[in-house]
Amino acid sequence: MTATAWWGAILGVGVAVTVGAYVVAVADRAIATVVAGEPVRWSVLAGPTRSVALGLVQGGTTTERPDGPAWALAPALYLGLAAAALAVVPLSETLVAAPIEGGIVLFGAAQALAVIPVFLNGWSSNSILPLIGAYRFIAQALSYEMPNLLALLSVSVPASSLALGDIVASQQGLWNVVRIPLGLPLFLFAAAGLAFWGPVNFPDGADLAGGTQAETSGMHLLAWRAGRAAMLVATAAMGAAAFLGGWLGPGLPGWAWMVAKTLVLLVLLVASRHLVGRMRLERYVVISWVVLIPLALLNVLIAAAVAL
Amino acid sequence: MIESPLVVDVAFWFFGVASVVTGGLVFRTDSMVRASFYLLASFVNVAVVLLLMRAEYLSLILILMMAGEMAIMAVFMVMFMMNPAGLNPMNMVHQHRASVAGGAVAFLALGGLGVFARFPDRPAAPTGVTVALGEELLGDSMLIFESAGAALLATMIAAIALASTRGRYGDADDGSDAPALDPDRPFGDAPPEPASPEPEPSEHEGHTGMEGMEGMEDMDHGTMA
Repeated sequence: MTATAWWGAILGVGVAVTVGAYVVAVADRAIATVVAGEPVRWSVLAGPTRSVALGLVQGGTTTERPDGPAWALAPALYLGLAAAALAVVPLSETLVAAPIEGGIVLFGAAQALAVIPVFLNGWSSNSILPLIGAYRFIAQALSYEMPNLLALLSVSVPASSLALGDIVASQQGLWNVVRIPLGLPLFLFAAAGLAFWGPVNFPDGADLAGGTQAETSGMHLLAWRAGRAAMLVATAAMGAAAFLGGWLGPGLPGWAWMVAKTLVLLVLLVASRHLVGRMRLERYVVISWVVLIPLALLNVLIAAAVAL
Repeated sequence: MIESPLVVDVAFWFFGVASVVTGGLVFRTDSMVRASFYLLASFVNVAVVLLLMRAEYLSLILILMMAGEMAIMAVFMVMFMMNPAGLNPMNMVHQHRASVAGGAVAFLALGGLGVFARFPDRPAAPTGVTVALGEELLGDSMLIFESAGAALLATMIAAIALASTRGRYGDADDGSDAPALDPDRPFGDAPPEPASPEPEPSEHEGHTGMEGMEGMEDMDHGTMA
């Protein structure tokens, strides 16, 4: 990789994270307006910029004896992991920031590591509601990680490769969403937990007055929200590449197909916040372990049968 | 860019030193949670060194496994240590003489291995390392790895079976269903004896009460969101 390509890749991921977070914020507002039965106005496009401006000028809050460095690290680490996860997803046959052999493993590693910043964000503030959110997220993460990784691994079986480029190319005849039918729903449900979004928002829920983010404001809160939005984008992009055939499609150029498919999954994920009620964590844990993990194992078996 | 020897050398020393420093901080910090996460930082630095050796898959799998494990470790230590949420400062070093002796022996053994062992001289191929690893795992060394895997799986199933049986606070999955509305039946207790002698076994009665709650629970959450 030349130095130009290196800097280009870093810039590209930065642009993707920024634009993606903006799209999530706009879609979230627009869907909320539609669900409320009000007309969507153009001003919805300016909404996120107001939030960003507020975050930039708002002062930070502090608590009694927080773990300052860990608290400051949490949103940056979460945002960085979202960017790393996004970097392995190919936009087209040639456009990919990190074309590595084990792309799907890197996504899994970023996802596993994302437990740490969420826990730190709640634990470091030395405050009761964020702390409960932090411990909740560990229970949640242990529940979604297995089905999510198994669902992701199932797509690498027919492709005989862990590289995302090969996985997309292997869907030339038939997309994985048809070939391995359980994969996409399992992945989306589990991956929503990664961004603790909508029905599976346990660590930052309203019942904890904001959970891990209850004691934050200003830049910290802004970075935290951007990180969650970027994680949703990474999830949607991975779903599009792994299950919906990525850049494959007639007529339009590859990157346009990839963007369109990512947007469809992104809107689906964002809308779940406004259309589906929040589950209880206890039930989520039991469903994940008792129903989703066996289904994910069955899904791997189906993938193996397809590969044979 | 990563192929440049200077970049590789600088990165190796940076992440190598960082792994040792964060490893040392595990024993210098005063909190179980911080100790776990310093250990994780040390592992991540080792993973970057593995990446420099082109062992990409091993490097990523190390991060993947260790992240979850350290989170679990932190939670378990806090649970066992009677330290509310791991927030109170505490000394992380115990049994000083034994640990110093153990540390010295381990350092000499591993250091001696590093100095005197003969390592292969050939550089790793730029691609195909993952394939070679897979062939080793499921080819020549399959018997070893598969028997280790079966032993670990048996241990996990046994541990889950032990942990999920009925404990002093009731069944392990208590609380995964909404509690009954009946005020005479406190949450988690066995259902009371039926007033009139009915052929229905009393076990199922608790469930019908819980099922009736489901609609209410959803409504409750709807208003909250």
